[in-house]
Amino acid sequence: MTNRHLTGVVAAGLFLLVCGSRVVAHHSFAVYDHTQTFTVTGTITRFQWTNPHGFLELDYRAADGSMKHYTIELTSINMLTRAGWTSRSVKPGDEIKAMVAPLLNGEPGGLLMELSFTDGRKLESPVPAPGTFKRTPEQELK
Amino acid sequence: MTRMSIGVVATALACATALTAIVGAQTRTRSNPPNITGSWERIGPGALSAAQATGPRLPAATPPPLKAQFLKEWQARQQAAREATAKGQPFGINWVNCLPDGMPGMMSGPFPMEVLQTPGQVTIIQESFTQVRRILLDRPQKGITDIDPTFYGNSVGKWEGDTLVVDTIGIKEQVQYQNVPHSDQMRIKERIHLVQGDVLWDEITVEDPVTLEKPWTITFAYRRMPDYTLLEYICEDNREYIDDQGRQRIRLQSPSQK
Repeated sequence: MTNRHLTGVVAAGLFLLVCGSRVVAHHSFAVYDHTQTFTVTGTITRFQWTNPHGFLELDYRAADGSMKHYTIELTSINMLTRAGWTSRSVKPGDEIKAMVAPLLNGEPGGLLMELSFTDGRKLESPVPAPGTFKRTPEQELK
Repeated sequence: MTRMSIGVVATALACATALTAIVGAQTRTRSNPPNITGSWERIGPGALSAAQATGPRLPAATPPPLKAQFLKEWQARQQAAREATAKGQPFGINWVNCLPDGMPGMMSGPFPMEVLQTPGQVTIIQESFTQVRRILLDRPQKGITDIDPTFYGNSVGKWEGDTLVVDTIGIKEQVQYQNVPHSDQMRIKERIHLVQGDVLWDEITVEDPVTLEKPWTITFAYRRMPDYTLLEYICEDNREYIDDQGRQRIRLQSPSQK
């Protein structure tokens, strides 16, 4: 078993431990890496306010200078609403910084942990069992 | 109409009125439905200890007492699901297909729920997937073969004192709670009652002579959400899907962007 797999198993065990005593809601977020986060800075192209989950689409400039696209999954908009979000919280054109747990399969997508705006506004993402995601905010998506 | 027949009719009417009053009084003394109308959210044992200082403790969850041949398959499937999740390739579940929990899963309260008491009926709405079940009061239950199977089944109930006793049959076999298999003979019995003014319990007992060795009891606790109005939930644009390996994936571009 590689370290990465071991970490995954430990994370899954922790997830079961934490969630086992709480009410677990909804779709599995196991497709996302629970061991690290990336910070991606870019421009919102779309804020999808739908169930079962909301989405943010954004363009960002990669290290090689090219523009790339990234998809950020949110939770159910009902959970977002209960956490204080509205359908107008994010608009196309907003310059944002997002902390995401990346997809494990390497595709350009992640699960939102936290969203920051240029005016200092911050929105927390109401993911279930947030403590099971290790945050590494110093890692920038290139 | 003769004087005599008028007398008979008058007597009959008086008797009927008296009988109605007696039956009504008996019904009132027999049951005393508490007010459980409103919004509720499921709470686990930890939050329950905080919300409910006194009274019974929530019994620990127990695995389903499946008969040997079903238990082996269920344990293997649960193990495979755990391994797939640990590898970041979770099996798709009903939610990924925009399908609701059905019974008894909807009572596990993934999101807040609303209880509505109206004459002859208690309605329970689970916010996620806008799941609705109707419990018809003081009606006979139908026969299993008289019902077309559904997600929520056919529920009848009655108030026994302060407890709403519910009987549900007719759940589709693919509608499973925690992947536990059941037959068309499954019967779900519930005892819904307030433990405190703001804490509601649903003691659910699942019976199935085909798959279960003995009845399986699951108890859920909920706390009142006095200022909460249920939100709309439509599974409108599902970007999660199940690939040909049965694994959950995400479409990175939404259809409107194609």
